[in-house]
Amino acid sequence: MLKVIACFKWVIDEADIRVDAPNRKLLLERAAFKISPYDRNAVEEAMRLQEQHGASVTAVTVAPASAKNCLKDVLSRGPDRAVFVNDPSFADLEPARTTGLLAAAIGSFVEFDLILCGEGSSDLYAQQVGPALAEKLGIACATYVNKLTYVEGENRVIAERKLEEGIEVVSVPLPGLITVLPDINTPRIPSLKQVLGAAKKPVEQLTPERLGGMPAERLKTMGVVAATMERKRLRFGAGAEEIRSVVDALLKEGAIG
Amino acid sequence: MAGIWVFAEGAEHTLELLCAGRKVAEQLGVHPVAFAPDEELARRYLAHGAREVFVLPGLAPDQGLEAYVPVLAQAAAQEEPDVILIGATQRGKEMAARLSARLDTGLCSNCAGFEVDAGSGRLVMERLMYGGAGVQKVVCTTRPQMATIAARAFEPAPAGEDDAKGTIRSLAAAPSSPVKVLHRTPAARGSVDVTEAKIVVCVGRGIEKKEDVKLARDLADALGGELACSRPVAEELRWLPEEVYLGISGKKIKPQLYVGVGVSGQIQHVTGIRDSRVILAINKDENAPIFEAADYGIVGDLYQVVPILIDELKKTLKH
Repeated sequence: MLKVIACFKWVIDEADIRVDAPNRKLLLERAAFKISPYDRNAVEEAMRLQEQHGASVTAVTVAPASAKNCLKDVLSRGPDRAVFVNDPSFADLEPARTTGLLAAAIGSFVEFDLILCGEGSSDLYAQQVGPALAEKLGIACATYVNKLTYVEGENRVIAERKLEEGIEVVSVPLPGLITVLPDINTPRIPSLKQVLGAAKKPVEQLTPERLGGMPAERLKTMGVVAATMERKRLRFGAGAEEIRSVVDALLKEGAIG
Repeated sequence: MAGIWVFAEGAEHTLELLCAGRKVAEQLGVHPVAFAPDEELARRYLAHGAREVFVLPGLAPDQGLEAYVPVLAQAAAQEEPDVILIGATQRGKEMAARLSARLDTGLCSNCAGFEVDAGSGRLVMERLMYGGAGVQKVVCTTRPQMATIAARAFEPAPAGEDDAKGTIRSLAAAPSSPVKVLHRTPAARGSVDVTEAKIVVCVGRGIEKKEDVKLARDLADALGGELACSRPVAEELRWLPEEVYLGISGKKIKPQLYVGVGVSGQIQHVTGIRDSRVILAINKDENAPIFEAADYGIVGDLYQVVPILIDELKKTLKH
């Protein structure tokens, strides 16, 4: 049976971020968390492989110990079980550490043929963890995939990569890793039955101690400030006269004409 | 031998990274080193300030550029460069991530700018996070320090005063790769490059059906501009080609005027348009975040506003 892992990240919902503009500070305290939207496509693609080929699906994440809600959320989307690599210190991990922890967890504790990741996370969008994880595990990978086909009996997948220069179709031997683009599928909304069933599914907890310790930090964050943009923020109504005054203002600015 | 390495898919992109690399190299007192697919480009890079160029032997037909990862990793292990800058194309981003994993070093993805800390010799690099809402400052604590840099983030390196002094060396051929390329289809290139347009009209989800895109197109025509869209309009609705969607993962534009028509203004989209000189937004939802990013915001139904705007523009711009 094909064994699939879908990796996911529990991220701050960037739509909830408020900005304290004078101090260039991001106010994150009230922000809700969500499964990174790119990873929902990875989970959905894993479920598609389960429906077509009877694959087993394990969802794996690295998150702070407090992020328990991510388990119910991801399991309601279909996976059979979850692996929760956690520690209270796991907030804001840099990509090399996340990769190191995932590699240690997956390499020692989760059997797999195929790993699916989103193209990046919606918080850092470093787009590193997928390909770096493949490298750490010593397996083949293909990135930016918008169509995936498992070839039964040949232990490989055929992946269509959507790149700047066009489409590249590649054959990837298994075990392998694929990062998916958002347009590979449309993630389904979990049904009430799925949401209720999620709590009963098995979750394996792994801590850094069991994984041989915390990987060393390779990229240090010196600070995060709000991105600022100087804009006039003038408001106008939809009447012809007001629209006329917008056109005049654009002319005056040299934006048109 | 220490050095600042630059690697990108295209010659222009390589020259831009070389420009960035030369500045770092001067400050650290080391040489800029470039990678080229052939000797002709290698000589060009030398003329533009590289002091050494590694020529990468050709790939087999079923190999992608990513097949060079083991070659680059081996060269880096031998030569111990201080810094590796890689062009942030999709292939470049994969290669950089895999290379950093092999070399066990830190990588700053999509570095938008940096300063060299004279004391430590470390690059203090800036990048966007939270879809563009935040600017993150990072340093690599290990060597080589790595970063990916998007095209056009730097000016191309000018030709040097002393021409083409330096060495050209060939690297080993790429080993056979487990991933086999079966087929390639070049992207159908539209005639339009939205990143070059002076005026851009952008279609958002507020446009109700595909036929109504014409309304935005008429506005673009009245302004003498080009048509673009937000990501869902290209990827989910497929009303416009993917090469014209704007945002953190799409095209980034710097026009003199951006007009958002029914664009809500999610941060990922705003990140792609933030360098526009003037931003005009039309949206019926007065709480749409696009108004926070706009100079001029018209709160109203685009189906009413756009025809009036086109009329006014035609009156004004008629010469």
